[in-house]
Amino acid sequence: MSLLPFAHALVARQDLPVPAWLFAWGASIVLIVSFFALAAGWRKPRFEQLHWRPLADGFSRGLLSLPVQVLCGLLGVFLAGVAVYAGLRGTEAPDRNFVIVFVFVTVWLGFPALSALFGDVFRPFNPWRAVGRTAGAAFRAIAGQQPAHLAYPERLGRWPAAVGLLAFVWLEVVYGATGGITVVISPHTTAVAILVYSAYTLAMMAAFGVEKWCERGEVFSVYFGMFSQLGCFGVQDGRLGRRRPLAAAGQWAKLPGSAAVVLASIATTSFDGAQEGAFLSPIESVFEWFVDRGLGLVASARLTDTIFILLCFAGVALIYELGLRGMRSIRNAPPLATLRSGFAHTLIPIALAYLVAHYFSYFVFLEQAQFTYLLSDPLGTASTDLFGTASGSIDFTVLSSTAIWYVQVGALVVGHVIGLTLAHDRALVYWPNYRLASRSQYWMLAVMVAFTCFGLYLLSVANS
Amino acid sequence: MVLKAQMKKLALPMVAAALAVGLVACGGGSGSDETTVSGKFEALPGAPDAYSELAGSAALTRAEDGTTASLRVRGLVPETAYMAHLHSGGCDQPEPGGPHFKFDPQGGDEPPNELHLGFVADAKGEGSARTASNREVPPGEAGSVVLHTAGPTQVMAAFVHEDHDHGGGGGSEEPAGPVAIACAELEGAVAAAPLPTIVVRDGEPVGGVKRLEYSAGEEIRFEVSSDAAEEVHVHGYDIAKEVPAGGSVAFAIPAEIEGIFEVELEALGVQIAELRVNP
Repeated sequence: MSLLPFAHALVARQDLPVPAWLFAWGASIVLIVSFFALAAGWRKPRFEQLHWRPLADGFSRGLLSLPVQVLCGLLGVFLAGVAVYAGLRGTEAPDRNFVIVFVFVTVWLGFPALSALFGDVFRPFNPWRAVGRTAGAAFRAIAGQQPAHLAYPERLGRWPAAVGLLAFVWLEVVYGATGGITVVISPHTTAVAILVYSAYTLAMMAAFGVEKWCERGEVFSVYFGMFSQLGCFGVQDGRLGRRRPLAAAGQWAKLPGSAAVVLASIATTSFDGAQEGAFLSPIESVFEWFVDRGLGLVASARLTDTIFILLCFAGVALIYELGLRGMRSIRNAPPLATLRSGFAHTLIPIALAYLVAHYFSYFVFLEQAQFTYLLSDPLGTASTDLFGTASGSIDFTVLSSTAIWYVQVGALVVGHVIGLTLAHDRALVYWPNYRLASRSQYWMLAVMVAFTCFGLYLLSVANS
Repeated sequence: MVLKAQMKKLALPMVAAALAVGLVACGGGSGSDETTVSGKFEALPGAPDAYSELAGSAALTRAEDGTTASLRVRGLVPETAYMAHLHSGGCDQPEPGGPHFKFDPQGGDEPPNELHLGFVADAKGEGSARTASNREVPPGEAGSVVLHTAGPTQVMAAFVHEDHDHGGGGGSEEPAGPVAIACAELEGAVAAAPLPTIVVRDGEPVGGVKRLEYSAGEEIRFEVSSDAAEEVHVHGYDIAKEVPAGGSVAFAIPAEIEGIFEVELEALGVQIAELRVNP
């Protein structure tokens, strides 16, 4: 019995593995660029200042005005409602139901890319934030006072979001994709999961405050917000502005648990990639071991995948920790806790690169479905043709295999270079002595090269 | 291909580096994928009468690290020298086989840039030859093997056999220049090759999910036979055909989309084959 990965059920085409020669080129470029990046005379931190410049007043005021916020919020709530409705009432065929592609592809994979380019665009559309703020405004109008909130235990930081992130991906690739019995999470389960998550989120918002929870615990806000730190657009003091790209990322990881969010992102993407190739046979052995012990097929598959997803997280965290311990051994090093949060942001570009490398083609193919038949016939029951595109289909020839390979390898190489640059820049803050800073970065270099080669390796053995 | 070999060497330290940092990832390497095309020799229109009984075949085996060409023919004139070349075209071209296949189109017309099969027929009029190259003949670029008579000098160049009597057999009635005798169509052999068949019994593929590999531009050809009526769906290409109970259905689809595709029994959702279309 083979474990069918998630991708199978939704998209009919899988990518060919990156050929060995391209793998070698990618990895070699990484090594060479890394070497020169360190040797280059980058002796002063350049990403510690935001270099904030507000955008034109009218533009800023228009985009952030209350009517626009209300409109965006309504749209977010409406789309979430459509997703839940389609999940509950629509077809059980995952590839024909709006909810699956909308949640797991359009939103989950689309917003990281949009956020990196245009800033925190999820925030205005966040349905839970919209509902939470409306409820808060209603409370103020009726009670005539600010709602009272519990004090958020600051030691938790972003840990709830990190755990939530793992849980989300677990739901997607472990709970749903079990051993060829149900190849993908069912639309109904997804709808129920959205409702449960909504209840949990609104309760947390009521307890700790809407913005507080969005900043720390609401998985989607934290996750997409993380990628928005890379780009050059942001909001500060109620105004839209431009900043130096990547500069905001350095401040993001101050909250505890932020490193766990980035590591969880890298780990879950790795797991999803590895289960198709590198982990395939170990996963099957463990799976069979459980089956031999008398466990049911579904339970065995879920248990096995859960173990491997946690192993991935532990492995990725271990690599990061090794890099930190290495840096700690350099003279004048700050305490480990400072390093841990101080370098977490350098992994954000790697996390984004992993996403692009693993899901780029998948996203391009499925968005064709999203904007044709899934939009016109969200229930998948052939009962509606809202935009006249219900008979559309996916054109798999839009991307050639070679184009996909170059995007995959390019994303990993570029992500690695940016991560390395950020790490080098941060090291210059902790070690004003340029030589010590550079020496500390040999450790981060090892971490980054490990991640990039691991990423490339996963792509080169996928499906082979 | 030479470049590729160097790349592989480069890749090893990378993998080692990744492993050293603690990423022990287990994975299967790609297996050896050899493909063989072969074809039967057929006498060409202008062949001398002496070859009316000629029969035999030629084969071309492609592997990742090289190509082997071979032939076996009987019905030749005993103790006579022959030469065969790998040609780029099919046997039905005006000049059978068209031009010689060359690894480097700008390169010379001698081995190792071409594949030549020189041999001397034995006393029974049978002969065989084999030649190998460490370069890969790209799929679709070699169409046929053309056999013709060879003068002693050509054979001397290919085989230095001191003790052979090259003068025998041919006699004075044989024309001075090489005469094309027979042609073996390799492309035709592809079509004649056994069709991969997926046997479905009790809603499961016998022997597990069948893995089939094609190159873009070729034709995806396979057959499904089943003990029960099923709908067979080729994903990606989105082609579905019915197979009747106890019958079979053949697929022939131009391989236009690269990637890996599932073939499924639609109603049961059971995967029976994996198609892999390489660019």
